[in-house]
Amino acid sequence: MLVPLPSELADLRARDGRVDMPRLLAAAALGLAVEAQRRSLDTAAAVAGRFGWPLRALARPAVAVARGSVAVARHHLDLDLWAARGLAEQRRGLEAAVRAVRALIAALVAAVLDEVDLDEVVARVDLDQVVAHVDLDRIVDRINPNQIAARIDLDGIVDRVDIDAIAQRIDLDAIVQRIDLDAVVARVDIDAILARVDLPGLTVQVIDEVDLGEIIRESSSTMASETVDALRVQGMRVDGLVSRIVDRILQREGQRQTGPLDEAPPP
Amino acid sequence: MNRDIRHAEARALQGHRAGFASRVVADLVDLGVAWLLGLSALVAAGVVGYLLTGPPLALPVLPNWLDATAGGAIAVGYLTFSWSATGRSVGKQVAGLRVVDRRGQRLSLRRSFARAVLYVLFPIGLLWILASRRNASLQDLVVGTAVVYDWAYQPAGEAHPPGDAPSPRPAGSS
Repeated sequence: MLVPLPSELADLRARDGRVDMPRLLAAAALGLAVEAQRRSLDTAAAVAGRFGWPLRALARPAVAVARGSVAVARHHLDLDLWAARGLAEQRRGLEAAVRAVRALIAALVAAVLDEVDLDEVVARVDLDQVVAHVDLDRIVDRINPNQIAARIDLDGIVDRVDIDAIAQRIDLDAIVQRIDLDAVVARVDIDAILARVDLPGLTVQVIDEVDLGEIIRESSSTMASETVDALRVQGMRVDGLVSRIVDRILQREGQRQTGPLDEAPPP
Repeated sequence: MNRDIRHAEARALQGHRAGFASRVVADLVDLGVAWLLGLSALVAAGVVGYLLTGPPLALPVLPNWLDATAGGAIAVGYLTFSWSATGRSVGKQVAGLRVVDRRGQRLSLRRSFARAVLYVLFPIGLLWILASRRNASLQDLVVGTAVVYDWAYQPAGEAHPPGDAPSPRPAGSS
């Protein structure tokens, strides 16, 4: 049996201390009804246990009579009106209970949260252990880069990039000024580069291509030899002229036999 | 070691007997060379005399007979050695001539000497070139030599064979 709390009885009193009589009577009637219902049910259960089947046999006609009487009562006493009122009362009670339960839950949660120190909870969590439980390999295995790449519309991205605008914003002079060319040059190992170049071979190749001796001969002898050649040619011409003059004076006929030596008589 | 001859006219005359003018020019140059050699000898003698007898430094004055003899000897020696060595003295080098025997060979030392002596003693024999149909001087006739146009730079003793061009000439050169 439920025991009423003192606070519940106190609610029946108004603020000025007087008792709310109608509410008190209603509550008392409800309490009596509930208790009576409980006891009658207990009694009925006991009677049914002992005199089950003869009662059931006797009850059948009684039930039939009762059904008839109920139908009569329903018609004359307007039971539907009372039932509607009861149902409305039930619904009101249910709503009040829901409100009470919600308030209770909110109060409970607030109290729990007040008691719980979240920092302490977090401190007790071992993240390393959590991470150790994560199988990254498996996750990575499930990732298909090709699929991801296929979803990326690179053309679209590139179309949206204005390279000219980017280039205009780049200050090349400033960049060049920040480059330390001396340091760059200092890092170049010219000896190593030269070591890889076959200079003697190249030199020989160049000399082979250029007939240096011929050039030197030409340059050193061309001027002098041209002068000498001109003198010699003049000598030849004067030789011929003198010979022709002399031959004319001597009234010779035919050419002089100045040809190559094989025309000369053998010694 | 040969050099291209650019003048076609000169190329055609290589190995031919040289005429009067070229040979006179060559001999005049040789005369100058011989005179320079004699002067050099005198200077050398003067320096030696200065070193031996002291100042003054002066060229020795030779008696005429010795002067002529010494001059002739120097000329003969110079011509003999140059002709027998290469066939060309300085004068003939300038004029592009070479002294060869009748077969076109380099002169022997004896023949060179005889030719040099004859030229020094009787230079007027050169005039016979004008009259000779083969451009031969009297000395050439006596000793059996010839002077040919030869511009080629050939080593001593490598006179070209008869009838051949004195130097190989590439076709098409001008």
